[in-house]
Amino acid sequence: MEANSGLVPGRTLMGWKNPLRRRTMTSSIGDVSVCLQGCSSANMAVDITLLFKASVKTVKTRNKAIGIGFDSTKDEIFKRSRPKSGFSPRAKEVISNITKLKDFLLQHRKDYVSAGSLISSDLTRMTDNERDQIDQDAQIFMRTCSEAIKQLRNEAEKKITSTQIKEHRGAVLDLIEKYLRGVCKLYSEQRAIRVKRMVDKKRLSRLAPEHHSRVEKPREVEPVEGKTVKEEGSEKSVSEVLDNTVEHLWEEVRVEDELSPEEIQMFEQENQRLVSEMNNLVDEVRQIEGKVVEISRLQEIFAEKVLQQVS
Amino acid sequence: MAASVREKQTVALKRMLNFNAPPLKNTTAEPVWKVLIYDRFGQDIISPLLSVKELRDMGITLHLLLHSDRDPIPDVPAVYFVMPTEENIDRICQDLRNQLYESYYLNFISAISRSKLEDIASAALAANAVTQVTKVFDQYLNFITLEDDMFILCHQNKELISYHAINRADIQDTDMESIMDTIVDSLFCFFVTLGAVPIIRCPRGNAAEMVAEKLDKKLRENLRDARNSLFTGDNMAAGQFSFQRPLFVLADRNVDMATPLHHTWTYQALIHDVLDFHLNRVMMEEGAGAEPSPAGARPKKKSRRTYDLTAADRFWQKHKGSPFPEVAESVQEQLDRYRAQEDEVKRLKSIMGLEGEDEGAISMLSDNTAKLTSAVSSLPELLEKKRLIDLHTNVATAILDHIKSRKLDVYFEYEEKLMSKSTLDKSLLDIISDPDAGTPEDKMRLFLIYYITAQLVPSESDLEQYKTALLDTGCDLSPLNYIKQWKAFTKMAATPANYGNSGVKPMGLFSRVMNTGSQFVMEGVKNLVLKQHNIPVTRILDNLMEMKSHPETDDYRYFDPKMLRGSESSIPRNKNPFQEAVVFVVGGGNYIEYQNLVDYAKSKQGKKVIYGCSELFNAAQFIKQLSQLGQK
Repeated sequence: MEANSGLVPGRTLMGWKNPLRRRTMTSSIGDVSVCLQGCSSANMAVDITLLFKASVKTVKTRNKAIGIGFDSTKDEIFKRSRPKSGFSPRAKEVISNITKLKDFLLQHRKDYVSAGSLISSDLTRMTDNERDQIDQDAQIFMRTCSEAIKQLRNEAEKKITSTQIKEHRGAVLDLIEKYLRGVCKLYSEQRAIRVKRMVDKKRLSRLAPEHHSRVEKPREVEPVEGKTVKEEGSEKSVSEVLDNTVEHLWEEVRVEDELSPEEIQMFEQENQRLVSEMNNLVDEVRQIEGKVVEISRLQEIFAEKVLQQVS
Repeated sequence: MAASVREKQTVALKRMLNFNAPPLKNTTAEPVWKVLIYDRFGQDIISPLLSVKELRDMGITLHLLLHSDRDPIPDVPAVYFVMPTEENIDRICQDLRNQLYESYYLNFISAISRSKLEDIASAALAANAVTQVTKVFDQYLNFITLEDDMFILCHQNKELISYHAINRADIQDTDMESIMDTIVDSLFCFFVTLGAVPIIRCPRGNAAEMVAEKLDKKLRENLRDARNSLFTGDNMAAGQFSFQRPLFVLADRNVDMATPLHHTWTYQALIHDVLDFHLNRVMMEEGAGAEPSPAGARPKKKSRRTYDLTAADRFWQKHKGSPFPEVAESVQEQLDRYRAQEDEVKRLKSIMGLEGEDEGAISMLSDNTAKLTSAVSSLPELLEKKRLIDLHTNVATAILDHIKSRKLDVYFEYEEKLMSKSTLDKSLLDIISDPDAGTPEDKMRLFLIYYITAQLVPSESDLEQYKTALLDTGCDLSPLNYIKQWKAFTKMAATPANYGNSGVKPMGLFSRVMNTGSQFVMEGVKNLVLKQHNIPVTRILDNLMEMKSHPETDDYRYFDPKMLRGSESSIPRNKNPFQEAVVFVVGGGNYIEYQNLVDYAKSKQGKKVIYGCSELFNAAQFIKQLSQLGQK
């Protein structure tokens, strides 16, 4: 299993500066989370384990008195020799691998998902290459785990064991699969967010590359000074030129109190045109936005289903 | 009692199944697998509360009966949930000797005795398995919770504590002692799980009194034992939001013999009366003859279907106490609504096919992407809805068949009138002699109710007439013998006052109330509307809870286990009305009583009532017990 695992934390991400800390899993059963103790679901069960141990001592002393002894040490050793390559250790191995993946994803989640701020001096910012790498590695890893589960399942079926053991092993594998699916969901959520952000970014960059402010101000006819909008092409540049000339004219004409009626009409027409163009743009933008959100949601769902089918 | 007793018991079980530790809320936690071993008692406790899927989700790969052939699975921990009986302990010891599992978590449904604990200890020593026995717990869960506010004592071996067992003429003192001990043990577990010490009220001179005395003693002993008391500490404080203690009313079945025989009209009670219904599970035979088989074809094979009626089924929770016609209407409504949703999904499908045809379609398409997303994600919900609708359609149809063939609506109406001494429009003899109306058992029930509620015992000649009529229809008269004795014995005549002013207003016949698209053709079935009235048990509760004075309950005994000295007086020290109450009927109960209490609690703002009984029987089972008693 070791040879197959593609994801070894710390080595596959190129140029990733942060050292990866080892996270210890704290899901041991003995842990009683403090927050749950004060809750209203009190359990009235009584722990009599100590009583049991005391009974054991009582019986021991009683047996000694009667003269019955038990040969303890030899049997202990024989019991401990459980098959190393048995079903259970391998299943546990798969689980620990999935846990590693989960820890990895969670650890880098914040950085992965972080809004690509355009300030490139931010140290914790991940490059897209790194993100792609994570995606790839995660996918390979998930596939490997899924195949390992399938392999275990085939083996378990072929082995000649009792029905109960077969059923038990089947259920164990189902549990592991469910766990894997949960972790895959983490991954696909991250990915969906990333996709959406990428599309958002593209949208913004199309309409206002240098300006950080939003363009969606429909009613205002702000002169879009010095912008090159690819879509509108020549029309826009004409209007820009016109705007510039209008501005110059405006400055020149400022001296005069009144505008000639033709000029007024021309300006009005221009206004109308610009307003309607803006409106169209805004509608288009809204539509695209909506579609993207839906697509990303769909993608999430389908990714889930596909993973389900694959596993 | 902020959380219902059902929730408390479920939480206790889940904790036990998580190796006796509170379950972590983290959803993507590593799975830990285990096997669950239970005896039949344990199975009955778990099955109404946790489904197989929920067990799987908690990591339980196998659930097996203790006394079955179990193969060794040496690398898996095992959780046991059993009663500490002799045979169970023996089997556990055997398991230890055979080294079946990796580790053992032993949970006893009620407290295990010291000597039996030592038996296990010595078996563990002999098998070198002492370190494998990881935890041993006394769970104090020896009762079955069926609803948020209803519990019964047991389902297995219930004949040991049945009405018959308690009331038979040849009962020995030792038998009675052991029955009472069983009942008290379960009630004690109930109050431990509830986390409250109640104030106990009971009538004098019957089994209920014995139970009250023993329970009081047991609670008292436990409270005095400061070290091991189950009612002190953080556990109590955390669960209690009310400062008042609950009232515990013990009633004996003999106070009201008519209600268990009564024909009923509400959904849950009908299912229990007419179908095979145990532990919230209905078992039916499918394909039971609504359709005529084509001539010459083989008769349709009857398949058994089982349905679980759970807390998650919203339709069930809403309608389990509704009168049947309302239920039938609602099912129809749900079906129509579901069909509309289904059509919506189908329409989407057809629109998808129009892709690229014209502008309108394309714009609709983008709009539909949103709909598609929501449709895909709501698909499992829709399927679940369909399953529930099918379930209730089948169940309601089965009930309707019974109602129609046995004319249960007629019986219900008549009995309500008998119990409220309203004027009867038909003579009893007519109904009994009518060959179309009901099974012999139905007629027997009707007659017994008549006999029980009659102020004057019918004259000998009348009685003979009735008896002949009953015998003609094929009834067995032994229940009548017992009821005669009972009536002579009981000082309380079941006067009409006992049953309150019930009103059954027939709203005319359901000729074709529902349109032809309906599944439920209730033609000829009366649309009866129930008026709220209080049956005896409810009335007793009302008197005691509201501290009303009433000749019936003034004589009740009063026990307060928390008081230092056992008080013999029946003068309650608490003068305020109670906000919470538990009503327990010794000798058995049924859903009619439960429903009546639920309705009563609803009518009173802020009051909570829990109903319990030593066993749950429907009228058929009760009549069987009466026959046995009448045959002595």
